[in-house]
Amino acid sequence: MTTGRATSNRAVVWLVVLVVFVVLMVLASVLTSGDKIQGIAPIGVTAIGLIVVFVIHLATARSDAWEVGTRQVVYMAIGAALYGVFNYIFNTIPMPSVSQVALRPSICIPVFFGYAFGPVVGFFTGAVGNILGDFLTGWGVYPAWDIANGLIGFIPGLVMLFANKKRSLNFLTGLVAVLIIIFAVLIYMNPRVPGPWTGEIEDFSFWAWAFLIGGVVVIVGRFVLERVGVDLAAINLWGTLGIIIGIGFAAIADIWINGYSFATAIIGEFAPAAGPNILNSMILSPILLAAYQAITARTGR
Amino acid sequence: MLIAWRYRERDTIIQRLDPRARIIFMLATLFSIIQFWDLRIMVVFLAISVTQYALARLTWRETRRVWILVSFIILFMTILTFLTGRGGVDYAYHEEHLIRRLGPLSLPIVGWQIGLNITAEKTIFALSQLTRMYAITIMALTIPYTVDPSLYGVTFRGLGLPDKFAYAMDLAFRFVPTLGRDFSITLDAQRARGYEVEKLSGGIVAQIRRLAPLLVPVTINAIVGAEDIIDAMDLRAFGVGPRTWMRRLTYRRADVVLIAAGALIFLASTVLAFMGIGKLWVPAALLRLATG
Repeated sequence: MTTGRATSNRAVVWLVVLVVFVVLMVLASVLTSGDKIQGIAPIGVTAIGLIVVFVIHLATARSDAWEVGTRQVVYMAIGAALYGVFNYIFNTIPMPSVSQVALRPSICIPVFFGYAFGPVVGFFTGAVGNILGDFLTGWGVYPAWDIANGLIGFIPGLVMLFANKKRSLNFLTGLVAVLIIIFAVLIYMNPRVPGPWTGEIEDFSFWAWAFLIGGVVVIVGRFVLERVGVDLAAINLWGTLGIIIGIGFAAIADIWINGYSFATAIIGEFAPAAGPNILNSMILSPILLAAYQAITARTGR
Repeated sequence: MLIAWRYRERDTIIQRLDPRARIIFMLATLFSIIQFWDLRIMVVFLAISVTQYALARLTWRETRRVWILVSFIILFMTILTFLTGRGGVDYAYHEEHLIRRLGPLSLPIVGWQIGLNITAEKTIFALSQLTRMYAITIMALTIPYTVDPSLYGVTFRGLGLPDKFAYAMDLAFRFVPTLGRDFSITLDAQRARGYEVEKLSGGIVAQIRRLAPLLVPVTINAIVGAEDIIDAMDLRAFGVGPRTWMRRLTYRRADVVLIAAGALIFLASTVLAFMGIGKLWVPAALLRLATG
């Protein structure tokens, strides 16, 4: 279809522009003085992130996962509306519960919509849904958080790129295993880095162990959940990955935008957001998925 | 549940501007402001934000809750950054001049030492950070109250978003009141069956699980209803050709001026930042306090 080709060509053009831009910036800062690299680092990091996404997209362009037809348009609109409305409701209506902070049930919407309908639907649900929710609550528009919520929906959608759910789980497990190995090697070679809390050089081993143990938990968790059901394992693992990447993106972006210290970003933003989100998603997304699968079995669509 | 948009139609300069121009200006100033830490420059940006807010003529009553919440978050984050580590990603300032040192305190069981070095740089950085966050927030805050929700789709299409996505935005906005109503109906129906959202019992996991009777029916109903909508759109040949919108956005002179101003601010900021101007400024008085 011509529109599809045109969009794809436009994407390639923008990709080239982005790469050229990043190269120019790096050259400029290297030629002037090394200090400037820090100034353009956020743009560089974002650009690299975008390039990675584009490359994934171009590499798998033929996959059904990227199709945007009438069905996807309606699903993304509904997903965004649901996420926005639920966010508004659960943000503003006081929930009479001691653990108020921990009730963020709306997070299951972008995760589920991404998982069930694809990465494009997932990204739109998260991003536009977040914009909608902020509009309704009256907070304003915060682009970094919109993109972050978009990622929360986008990542679970990547499951569709794989032949089946089991392969997607294998890929994820493999990725985590590789990251663990790389991390372990890095720590072994360079154990002393500036600590995030004090800015002084300290032994990194605590964080390294935390990360390694986390990775092992993920791998073990995958096999445990898979015993119960592949779908359960897939939506939980990919959903959690999406939440970590999304909220992580927002927290790091806020380090650049608002000048938070690393500790503030972790304690003040990442932990309080990612923790409850992951918990809520792991409980509610599978329920939503089960209900959806029951409906599709019944209607056959 | 009545879900109302915050937008109120007012005849102000701000609302007469093209929303595309306003979004471009907002993004340009956002990318400009994050390149500086100098308090004096922050104040200039704060003035721009406040001017824009004042021109919107919002009432205290409609924004009171948001102001309180937003101020709480900003203050909390600033204080947290002040207490922990170094803000500004380690390049706002490198040297520190100590005013006062608190601690170190030894925590009893773990034996960790915690202390606080109050330095001149940290103090002025906290102030600059506060100003910067307020400048960004005030600019962002104005938008929900002054942009007509029905214009959102055509605005983003004007900014380059493909037709289908712009239409999806309009569709999402259109669904909001419907879903609000569905939520009310579901809540009442579940209440009639003995479900009490006010009395969620059990541990946190059980409580979350007990929210499912609210979320799942609304979501599944929306998805099932989508099938009719998809059919209706397909029958009307959706997506076959380029799409038109009922409201057309045209740039007027004021909009062009606004966009030009935004571009100028961004360019000037980038050049200044590249030249090294605009880093953290520590007033001499504060430095005297540290060394004297």
